[in-house]
Amino acid sequence: MALDCGVFHSTYESDMGLRRTPVERARMALFVGFLLVFPWLATPYWLNLANQIAIATIGAIGLNILVGYTGQVSLGQGAFMAVGAYGAGLFTLEFGLPWGVSIAAACVLTAVVGTFFGLPSLRLKGLYLAIATLAAQEIIEWVVTHWTAVTGGTEALVVPAPRMFGTRLNSDFAFYWLAVTLAGATALFTANLFRSRQGRAFVAVRDQDIAASVIGVDVFRTKLVAFATSSFFVGLAGALIAYYRTIVTWERFTLETSILYLAMIIVGGLGTIRGSFFGAALITLLPAAITNLGRALQDAAPAVAVQLPNVQQAAFGLVIILFLIFEPEGLSKLWRNVKDYFDVWPFAYRRGESRGG
Amino acid sequence: MRSPRTTRGWRICFSLAFLAACGGGGEDAGDDVIRIGAIFDLTGPTADIGTDYADAVRGWVEWTNGRGGIAGRQIDLVFQDYAYSVDRAEQLYSQFVQEGAIVFMGWGTGDTEALVPRVADDRIPFSSASLSHRLGDPAEAPYNFLTATSYSQQFLVALDWIAADHAEKGGSGGAGVALLHHASPFGLSPWTQLGEEYASRIGVDVELYEMPRGATDFTAEMTRIRQSGAGYIVIQNTSAPASVAVRNARSLGLDATIVCLNWCSNALLVELAGEAAEGVIGGMPYPPPDADVAGLADLGAFLEARGEDVSARTNAYTQGWFTAEIFGEGLRRAAATGEPLTGESVRAALETLTDFETGGVTVPITFSADDHRGSNGMRIYRVEGGQWRPVTDFMTAPAVP
Repeated sequence: MALDCGVFHSTYESDMGLRRTPVERARMALFVGFLLVFPWLATPYWLNLANQIAIATIGAIGLNILVGYTGQVSLGQGAFMAVGAYGAGLFTLEFGLPWGVSIAAACVLTAVVGTFFGLPSLRLKGLYLAIATLAAQEIIEWVVTHWTAVTGGTEALVVPAPRMFGTRLNSDFAFYWLAVTLAGATALFTANLFRSRQGRAFVAVRDQDIAASVIGVDVFRTKLVAFATSSFFVGLAGALIAYYRTIVTWERFTLETSILYLAMIIVGGLGTIRGSFFGAALITLLPAAITNLGRALQDAAPAVAVQLPNVQQAAFGLVIILFLIFEPEGLSKLWRNVKDYFDVWPFAYRRGESRGG
Repeated sequence: MRSPRTTRGWRICFSLAFLAACGGGGEDAGDDVIRIGAIFDLTGPTADIGTDYADAVRGWVEWTNGRGGIAGRQIDLVFQDYAYSVDRAEQLYSQFVQEGAIVFMGWGTGDTEALVPRVADDRIPFSSASLSHRLGDPAEAPYNFLTATSYSQQFLVALDWIAADHAEKGGSGGAGVALLHHASPFGLSPWTQLGEEYASRIGVDVELYEMPRGATDFTAEMTRIRQSGAGYIVIQNTSAPASVAVRNARSLGLDATIVCLNWCSNALLVELAGEAAEGVIGGMPYPPPDADVAGLADLGAFLEARGEDVSARTNAYTQGWFTAEIFGEGLRRAAATGEPLTGESVRAALETLTDFETGGVTVPITFSADDHRGSNGMRIYRVEGGQWRPVTDFMTAPAVP
């Protein structure tokens, strides 16, 4: 990782820190501070959005481990989330496990299922693997809707509300703390994962699998570990949805979900944790923003209102396309641009650096 | 490095997006209006019937406001298209409730089921176009109300009609029925909730055939049905897929009688299936808007005043209008008690509806504290000459313990 000019480290600890400069630490502190204050000021509408973003962030980080860091394209996201959601619900309903244990067990179950469906990655790469994971999506969806004795088939699965210290945890306010804490833990784990030997192996496999195997990385094993790690977090996202909504229906975990999550990490930035968060936030907030823009216009120009729903769909697609054209590296790169800009603000550029260089 | 101007452009975009998202900030509804929240499917997979339903709810609000509103207060309908997405439904629901909506008009099965616990927490009387039988059980869904016959009871009526028709035609033994259903809770609920029990009681032999989502051909299912020898096919799906099934059946030369439940017995099916729709039977809790029924006068007058062709609308329009009307009656009764209008008082008021007359549009609507299924009957129609013609008056569903 390149260091900014003028930053020196005199100890190994400071060199290895996740946040290495005072500015980075201050920014992080501000963000954490914001997260702590937010729920006290926010309305239920915003808390609901925040919880959706937190859950989507966990799912997006999970997918990013597989797609962005290890280079294995997956279209099975929705199905793996379904495994997490149904798993969490069923562990409680069938075996009477407390919700915390159920969630953990569901994550492990999803990791096992994900590893199984990662087996084709031994022989398949790129688009071919995408089709294999598409099969996973279809197979799991079929099993969930037809294994009536266990999942209840196409009927909704009603999960008991999680409780802690006598209060229900699935209210918007209480759930915020659970979701945000878990999202933070996921981000922290993943950030550290890619500083470890295993994480570096993921990246090596992505960049050039033959070279990776030459330097001693067991490529197949690494791919399977990536599938397991990724599915673990994807399962966590699914399990959280189950406990937040307390009702699980398969309609929430279709191929569209898989594609939406791929869109999140592509728009956010492949292979970055920050990008997963930005992508999750954008894909959640954008439709809400377009809706509210539409409602504002509805009063101002009722004639437009008739066509509005169609315009909203088109606008969502348009924004995504514009992002891909103007910032193919995603929101994460955009954030870096903003930082670079403020780095030298109020001057136009650094001494010795040419404009547009 | 990117030029600062580009960066500034992005920042402006972001600020705009953020400001737009801020529109969700809530202001409470004042005393002067009654706020009703609604989500409609105008662009999603069920937009075919969703658009008529949505227009009807909006039409009812316009009509009611034009006549002085409810208890002197105007109705403010806050609504959005949600494209049949569960996540969007949850967002819009919490947004509208926060803006002061005291009752809510929902739509699909997935989102209605997902919202059941929240609706109960927030105490918001909730109507949906999803008519799953268990949504009408206050023990499971205390704030959900069914304003039309549940899918299960529609199926029971269909079975009764089939048994009678079979006997009339001199068929021997029990009638053979193929239930062709959408692969979802919506599709299966007529069977799993009451249907299975009742079929075995009256000796009707039912076999299930699934219609996968997004399928564009049901020839395989129809071939299997032909082999099974079933004389009747009951379809529980929306008009577009049902019309494909009807065409497939006819092109295979299958002469089984096809019976459509609620969401495919409408003008759209006839339009899409064309000639093949001739002779299709339809169970309708709500008649088409141009039917000869006294209770439809207001609706007809409203559409004519707007210069619209009443016959161009499907029975989803009638259903939307009267779902709103029944909730409107709840609001009227709650306002009449003199207590402040809240979700709780509206629920209590709705539960006082006993044999509420809709002028022959539906069977009289009755809600009670332990039953939120307002209606238990429907008329049977048949397509003749490209038009739905009534075959029977209201048939009510038998009681199944």
